[in-house]
Amino acid sequence: MPLAGLLQPLLSQLNSGVVLLDAELKLVFINQFIARRADLQPEDVKGKSLFEVFSDLPQAWLQRKLHGVLSLQVPAFSSWEQRQYIFKLPHLRPLSSDSAYMAQNCSMLPLTAADTGERYICILVEDATDAYVYQQQLQHSVARLQLANRTDGLTGVFNRSYWQQQLGYEIQRAERYQHPLSLLLFDLDKFKQLNDHYGHLGGDAVLIEVARLVAALLRDTDLLGRYGGEEFGIILPETDLTGAMQVAQRLCSAVAAHRVAFEQQQLLATISLGVTGFTSGLSSDQLIQQADEALYSAKRQGRNQAVAWRDSQSVYLKKVK
Amino acid sequence: MTTLHFTEEQRDCLQELVNVAMGQASDKLARYLETMVHLQVPAIKLVDTQQLPEHFAKRYQQQSVSLISLGFFGDQGLRGETIMLYQLANVGVLAKLLGYSDDDSSEDEMLTDISSVLTTTFLNGLAEQLDNSFSYAAPRILSSRDEHFADKLAATAQQWQLALQVDIRYQLTDYSFHCDMILLIPGEAVLRLRQMLDQILADF
Repeated sequence: MPLAGLLQPLLSQLNSGVVLLDAELKLVFINQFIARRADLQPEDVKGKSLFEVFSDLPQAWLQRKLHGVLSLQVPAFSSWEQRQYIFKLPHLRPLSSDSAYMAQNCSMLPLTAADTGERYICILVEDATDAYVYQQQLQHSVARLQLANRTDGLTGVFNRSYWQQQLGYEIQRAERYQHPLSLLLFDLDKFKQLNDHYGHLGGDAVLIEVARLVAALLRDTDLLGRYGGEEFGIILPETDLTGAMQVAQRLCSAVAAHRVAFEQQQLLATISLGVTGFTSGLSSDQLIQQADEALYSAKRQGRNQAVAWRDSQSVYLKKVK
Repeated sequence: MTTLHFTEEQRDCLQELVNVAMGQASDKLARYLETMVHLQVPAIKLVDTQQLPEHFAKRYQQQSVSLISLGFFGDQGLRGETIMLYQLANVGVLAKLLGYSDDDSSEDEMLTDISSVLTTTFLNGLAEQLDNSFSYAAPRILSSRDEHFADKLAATAQQWQLALQVDIRYQLTDYSFHCDMILLIPGEAVLRLRQMLDQILADF
């Protein structure tokens, strides 16, 4: 029968790895695919323990699996999606940082020798590096898109929709756990004049620089977003009104003391801030409304300052409006 | 359209084959897992695949369910897919069941491992009863702890005509473990299966 003479050439040409084990998990055969990538001579490893030859296999896990194949006489599988590889082998794709080794789909198949009835296991190793690399690229793209989707293109802080969504979550959290929460809105003073005088590029430079400066002064848990043209919002979790006013005053003086470099000029900018603390039952719109009213008071009182919202303010504002 | 219904005799015959296969699987698993395994003899139900997603959506209302699929191919055109449904409060049960110590196996890996052990052990027994043998495709995760698992089940079930619903309850000494298994078979394989059942019935 010509097939018998063809089996060896077939196995050595096969573009998948073939590892044949006896019931004691000793190597009976490895094909060229494995031998060349692992830099082994097939004759040298014959009769040696699988775990001795391939010392970095996940031994406990693989032993348990192979035991299952032998005792249940059912195949077992391993996918690169759950475990990137079983055999630490190189691959032929360009190296990228997170795929130094060949990603593998492995099948562990129970075999019974036709002549002796002895039990063996065949581990088939398929190279899945392409799929692995594409999957990584896809995940990176998705992560980049998610980031872009919540970022303000000009200033790099959160955009309005994401920021407002977060405000909703923080309000729920503050309500549920009875934790303090404050909201701060600020606006660049006389931004229109700045734009008129230095052009939109000058205005943009100030927006970028102020956002960067403010972000650097906040805690990691504070959430800075661009609310509108030159208006920004900051969510301050775990912060009461007194704490929020201290933050506001610090930001106010920091911005006033800062010089924004633009076309060999030093631009001066100031901000006005409105601050309010969350009280149970308030919606995010109501909270924003309160901060906005406080911000309006800060503007009216001469700008470059922070004002805390008081209940009487809205009544007062309604009168002057 | 050819009717895919089974006669009462064919159905009883299949139930008997499933029982035997389950008994064998239970015995093998007990030895493999080194713990008492009591496999409840399942009542099989032949159902329209279109009703499946709704049925399971109702059973696991607002719970996260993981779905693992495993395809099988036999001789004489017999082929299909099994789907295991799990809702697990904690994955530690699975780790114990598989004898994994504090290993680096992920939940998904343990689910695919246990699924392939359970289904192939059962299917090997069923194949033997049918004088057939199956080869298997690697298990795939259709849904991982997902409340919208019914949509994914619908997408898979759509391509099959007949579903054999087998509720398996694995009762173990130290803990109870429960999952559902669905066997999905395409129309032409159903016809083959009926012929095989008729053959078995004729031999009696």
